[in-house]
Amino acid sequence: MLDVSDAAIITKKPPRKNTLSRDERKVRAAFIVPAVIYLMFMSIFPFIYSVYLSFYQAKLTRLHKKFFIGWDNYKQLFSDEVFLAALKNTFLLTTSSIILEVVLAFICAKVFLSLKEQRVGYFLRSMSILPMMITPLCVALIFSYIMNPTLGILNYILSGVGVEPISWFGNPNLALWTIVFINVWQWTPFMMLLMLAGLVSIPTSLYEAASLEKARWWHVARWIELPAIRDVILIGVILRVIDNLKLFDLVYITTRGGPGDRTELLTFFTYRQDFAFFNVGYGSAAAVVILVISIIVTTIAVGFLRKMQNA
Amino acid sequence: MRKSNLIGSYAAAIFVMLIFTLPILWMFMGAFKTPVDIYSIPPVWWPDFSYLENFKALLAENWSFLLNSVIITLGATVLCMIFALPCAFGLVNFQFKGNNFLADWILSTRMMPPIAAAVPLFMIFNGMGMLDTHAALIIVYAGFNLPFAVWVAMSFFRNLPKEIIEAARIEGCTWFQTFWQVALPLTKSGIATVSTFVFIFAWNELLLALFLTSSDAKTFPVVISGFSTLSRTYWEFVSAATVIQVLPPIIFTLIMQRHIVSGLTMGAVKNG
Repeated sequence: MLDVSDAAIITKKPPRKNTLSRDERKVRAAFIVPAVIYLMFMSIFPFIYSVYLSFYQAKLTRLHKKFFIGWDNYKQLFSDEVFLAALKNTFLLTTSSIILEVVLAFICAKVFLSLKEQRVGYFLRSMSILPMMITPLCVALIFSYIMNPTLGILNYILSGVGVEPISWFGNPNLALWTIVFINVWQWTPFMMLLMLAGLVSIPTSLYEAASLEKARWWHVARWIELPAIRDVILIGVILRVIDNLKLFDLVYITTRGGPGDRTELLTFFTYRQDFAFFNVGYGSAAAVVILVISIIVTTIAVGFLRKMQNA
Repeated sequence: MRKSNLIGSYAAAIFVMLIFTLPILWMFMGAFKTPVDIYSIPPVWWPDFSYLENFKALLAENWSFLLNSVIITLGATVLCMIFALPCAFGLVNFQFKGNNFLADWILSTRMMPPIAAAVPLFMIFNGMGMLDTHAALIIVYAGFNLPFAVWVAMSFFRNLPKEIIEAARIEGCTWFQTFWQVALPLTKSGIATVSTFVFIFAWNELLLALFLTSSDAKTFPVVISGFSTLSRTYWEFVSAATVIQVLPPIIFTLIMQRHIVSGLTMGAVKNG
């Protein structure tokens, strides 16, 4: 895909491309090649090494003694209940977080859009996006503090209205949803910012026309606002899918996958195989599964991001 | 708009703002509470902000890890820029076959989950005797942020009028001079934004630091994660450490809010 300006340059002077002197080529390569080699070291090498290791039974502590076992790691993986739970939980977490984020972000974006006074609105908006800039590690700690069953302020406030203390992270039926809640709290502002970027591009004349036609709010949302923010929502969703596949800090701090395997997630599962049990062969197989999922999502994402950037 | 509507809008906006800031504020207040106050029920709503013992005790033991974080983060940011800026400049200004493919491939590496690279990188640095060194984490953080930096840098090099670059070339500038003396000075604010983002991403990272450091090069996030164990959590230290850890990103957000959207979407979405 070429954008218009690229195409214009090529049609203007097509021969130059192939008649570059050797020095010119070297100079040009010097700009680009170092970064490419660096990235190969950071991505292609680990990928190949992980695939290689995933066919071995290997311990991190004695890597010189590893055995080739073919597909056994993968077979074991897909009959490992903890891994299957991790797959299921990651899927649940990703889909439910993103749906909630989109809905809540739309409401928040509308709230900020309705503010007329620029400076106050700007300030309130800046404050509201703080969660997404701080590390998930600290977000996890903030909510462990607030939602602590005994000393947490949330249960204290709830006790004021007669609610029994709730074990937010310890209740097997609740733990994953607590994680989802924290995740949504942190990332709704991100989605909101994206939507605001789309919403401000809607000309006011469209809104005026809608109010002349006595359109209901859902008509406005469906026929005016949604088309304007469809693309940014899609970008946001793609980036959030990828981020959720990587989610680690939150679970590492709050539940460590528990209770049982109720909050086991793919990244945390892999981390534990690699660094708690030193099963790097098995861990690598899990890493390869995460990679394959990421590659599928990425293929969709990259084409889309390029289209947007060139638009 | 009617006046009551307007008041409603502000009330709603303030409500939204409180939802997203109160939890952070509550942790901030914890940092100024004594170890007794922080565990008391009913809670101490308003601490004495002149009580700084938590910070003193925390930094007395952990200042070197905070310093590690600063060194590693700054090093990674500089290294990342050294590789990313020329690459982005080249991808925008040189026409060659596979130009777009290369840019796409670079972007796709941004999507790679760090956990998938953790063991291979551990092996390499172990083999080179570089585990638990600043250099190892600098290399890894710069590398992981490279795709992001290249893509965002591309979006602002692309906004530079082609005529300026052509004029410089006609005047006899080499590509290097064009890059260094013409393109870079004209994109200073963009570069500042990208560097700040890379700084924040590296500053916030935990997973790879857990893998690649153990004591000498341990970063501040690793220290913080250690305060929270399954048996006991040291809330007075956790809250003080959280304040220190989140302050740089918060300051950055308040200063550079305009650039955040295009930054986080790799230049795909312009600011609202």
